[in-house]
Amino acid sequence: MMGNLLTWLVFVPLIGAALILTIPRENVNVIRSLAAIVSGSALVLSLIIWGGFDRGVSGMQFETVAPWFDIGFLQINYEIGIDGLSMPLLVLTTIVTTLSIFASFSIVKRVKEFYVWTLVLLTGMLGVFVALDMFLFFLFFELTLIPMFFLIGIWGGKMREYASFKFLIYTGLGSAIMFITFIAMFVKGAEAMNFQETSFSMIRLAEIYANPANPEVLTGALKGGLFLALFVAFAIKLPVFPFHTWLPNAHVEAPTAASMILAGVLLKMGGYGLIRVGFGVLPDQAARFATLIAILGVINIIYGALLALVQTDLKSLVAYSSISHMGIVLLGVASFTTAGMQGAIFQLVSHGFISALLFFMVGAIYERTKTRTISELGGLSKSVPILAGFMLAAAMASVGLPGLSGFVSELLAFIGIFGASADLIPAAYTIGVIGAIGIILTAAYLLWAMQRTTFGPMKEKYVGLPDARPMEYVPMVGLLVLSIAIGVYPHLLSDVINTTVIDIVSKIGG
Amino acid sequence: MTAFDANWSLMTPEIVLAALALLVFTIDFMTGIHGKKPFIGRLSVLSLLVTAVLVVVTNSTSGSIAEVFVVDPFAMVFKLIILIGVAMVILISMNFLDRERNAEVYQGEYYSIMLFAALGAMIMVSSADLITLFIGLEILSISSYVLAGFKKYSRPSTEAAIKYVVLGGTASAFILYGMSFLYGLTGSTSLLEIGQAVPMLFEEYTFVVMMSFLFMLAGFGFKISIVPFHMWAPDVYEGAPTPVTAFLSVVSKLAGFGIILRVFFLGFGGVFQEWAFIIAVIAAITMIAGNFIALTQTNVKRLMAYSGIAQAGYLLVPVATVIGDVGINMIVFYSVAYLMMTLGAFAVITLVTEDTGTSDLSSFAGLYQRAPYLAIAMTVFLVSLAGLPLTAGFIGKAYIFFGAVAGEMLWLAIIMIVTSVISFFYYFGFIKQMFMTDPRPNDKELAVSGSMQTVVTVSLAVTVILGILPGLVLDIFNTFNWMAFF
Repeated sequence: MMGNLLTWLVFVPLIGAALILTIPRENVNVIRSLAAIVSGSALVLSLIIWGGFDRGVSGMQFETVAPWFDIGFLQINYEIGIDGLSMPLLVLTTIVTTLSIFASFSIVKRVKEFYVWTLVLLTGMLGVFVALDMFLFFLFFELTLIPMFFLIGIWGGKMREYASFKFLIYTGLGSAIMFITFIAMFVKGAEAMNFQETSFSMIRLAEIYANPANPEVLTGALKGGLFLALFVAFAIKLPVFPFHTWLPNAHVEAPTAASMILAGVLLKMGGYGLIRVGFGVLPDQAARFATLIAILGVINIIYGALLALVQTDLKSLVAYSSISHMGIVLLGVASFTTAGMQGAIFQLVSHGFISALLFFMVGAIYERTKTRTISELGGLSKSVPILAGFMLAAAMASVGLPGLSGFVSELLAFIGIFGASADLIPAAYTIGVIGAIGIILTAAYLLWAMQRTTFGPMKEKYVGLPDARPMEYVPMVGLLVLSIAIGVYPHLLSDVINTTVIDIVSKIGG
Repeated sequence: MTAFDANWSLMTPEIVLAALALLVFTIDFMTGIHGKKPFIGRLSVLSLLVTAVLVVVTNSTSGSIAEVFVVDPFAMVFKLIILIGVAMVILISMNFLDRERNAEVYQGEYYSIMLFAALGAMIMVSSADLITLFIGLEILSISSYVLAGFKKYSRPSTEAAIKYVVLGGTASAFILYGMSFLYGLTGSTSLLEIGQAVPMLFEEYTFVVMMSFLFMLAGFGFKISIVPFHMWAPDVYEGAPTPVTAFLSVVSKLAGFGIILRVFFLGFGGVFQEWAFIIAVIAAITMIAGNFIALTQTNVKRLMAYSGIAQAGYLLVPVATVIGDVGINMIVFYSVAYLMMTLGAFAVITLVTEDTGTSDLSSFAGLYQRAPYLAIAMTVFLVSLAGLPLTAGFIGKAYIFFGAVAGEMLWLAIIMIVTSVISFFYYFGFIKQMFMTDPRPNDKELAVSGSMQTVVTVSLAVTVILGILPGLVLDIFNTFNWMAFF
């Protein structure tokens, strides 16, 4: 029964999407409420799972394994389960998606399709976080492409078609690399077991790679190649410089709700995959390339921040800040310390809430002012004080103000990198210092942007703009409260992730 | 064993189909040459379904007629693919023939030629002898030439038919020439005997054996339109009536794959290592050329031609990487997927291009507003062709990847997966037209006939069901000993 709970969680949105398909498209309000109910049920289910989650167990929980199909030389299973890494991401996914559905009640164009695609997307994302068979993982990973293509391509901005195709091709290539690597991992894994056993399960492959019957098959060069290929595959999604160029286009063109999901959840699939498959199956290689990952992390932080600094469009500023913040995830995981790994997972969750909130605020302001150009905004704190206030709060959370979730994750990640063993990352201290400078840049671009948009003299054309609608309070308050909750009481999250974090870190004896 | 001792009942489906094809032909004469005759179309579909049932009943036990005409799971499954494929093509054609000016005059001809084409393809996949094989091939080919030129008064259609005849004749010549080498070497036309002799002869006569292989590859390669033998496809596909294009790109192509497998695995299986690399290179070139040229196409039928070339490249990958039953599993599974997704797509294409009178990609503009069900179904077919999840195409392609990586041809797998991503561009270009562009001002809601609805719904259902529960057929395939007919 407990295992079935996860299956229900993943497929409830898909069933909901099918239900919505049967409703005539004129019944806009019915469709909206149904979408909210379906996604809300997924949220409730994920919270039930959160409640039933055993904090003390390091392995998989809520597992279901059922044979799916047999391709002659390999049995592919429907294998799902969660641990401390996937648990918070599941809740993040349901929360952000539900709130984004509330945030998109203002959409009037082709409402039915919009919610069908959003719910299909929800199934895809949840599937990625629970799948333990690599075929299933790949299936869900690819499944997220199609709805996002439509969400950007139909409801996006002026360059929506270009952005949707760029998103499709880039992330499609990422999944292609991922799948080839998965199969190579399986083939070599089978060879390492002298073909006595074939498995496509991440869990079983991790054991095989740790204890092969025939270790000579798994040479350092092979494992190194596999890890780098996996890294590139997930780096495209995360995104990591230089594979990030799809992200600004996709974000800027996407409608608000899709941006929230894109930044809030979709990017996390990259970080999750890296930790789950890369670190899970090939921990020694992760350690071997720790320096590279840390350096790329710092480049991400600085590069994203510098580009954010020069953006004239508020939404692309937030998009580049996402790139910058994902650098912190890399920094944290590379450190191979408990604190660093905790920081990385904290950052995945915290950035999920904060970036969703930031994108929502930008969307809400754009809806009223019809512009996102920073220089054309100004004095919003006088014309729309509540919206401006929430935006300011989101920016503060993003900067990493103590008491908000961004602070905890950054602090932990930096504690991690400064504490990294010198064998692992020779210049950990220098890397940490440069990374910290990047964080100062974050403060610079966000505060500067806030100063130019919310403060200053009120522009005449913005007089009398309507402030937040009741429906808008749902995502705003929801996301901010969560950010504060994690910031004030990090135990809420660390309680769930700790056992798993210690397990991952212990794999390289750190 | 003399011919009279042989178990002729193995041939029941073919004999029945030949009789029914002649019956359709005769009924056409007897009912006068003018007027609409939808019952002939229905009778043809019924004939094909009856034959399909007979295939399942009589071919469930393996056997052969003097090792010339063989019945094994391989032949059975390919025959079912052919029969179902032709039945669906006829259902698509019924709509087309009703609308086409003067077309009712030739309805009987059209249907009976389709049935004969199916008969040729069935004989082809059941033959283990070069002569029988060639006869089957020619019945299929000559019927196809006639069908390609079926719009008698249309210049593009006639041009397509002429091109197809000339080039197809050349391809047949290549096949015969390749066969003659084998006969010269082994003194036999039986694939079994050839298969036993070739490994022994290979050392001494490497050049002749390889020439024979290459000539046959060129000839069969023409049928399945792989690069560099693909040049005819876009022109013929564009000129031929759309349902015939569907026939060429699905039934004719898959039957061609059936025969390639039969000849290469049975006849040349012993020297697999010697030619696998050649096939791999051709598969790679086919996938690259097909997908890249498809990017530049704006005509739907030409686009589908290049897409079909690319798909042939995917299907060729297991031929090069996995010999034996698992390799056949992959090809047959993908063939079933290809049959459904391509015929489904062609049904929609026929409807849309006939309705708008142009086969430009823009004829799909705003299809979602004009016919939501068709647009959704078409999206599923395209997503399946592109190899994205919850469709049969996804599972089929993933299966082939497994084979390529496990068969130590990583480079080929990489080319396959990267070109698949390239194909997103043009498949999603269709989707963009349907969902993200407004319909052209004069286009109204699209009426869908019952037969079309059937084709689209069946294809859609199979594409999705096999995408979620591939075990339904894979479990059966896994029990098959594909080419065991002794």
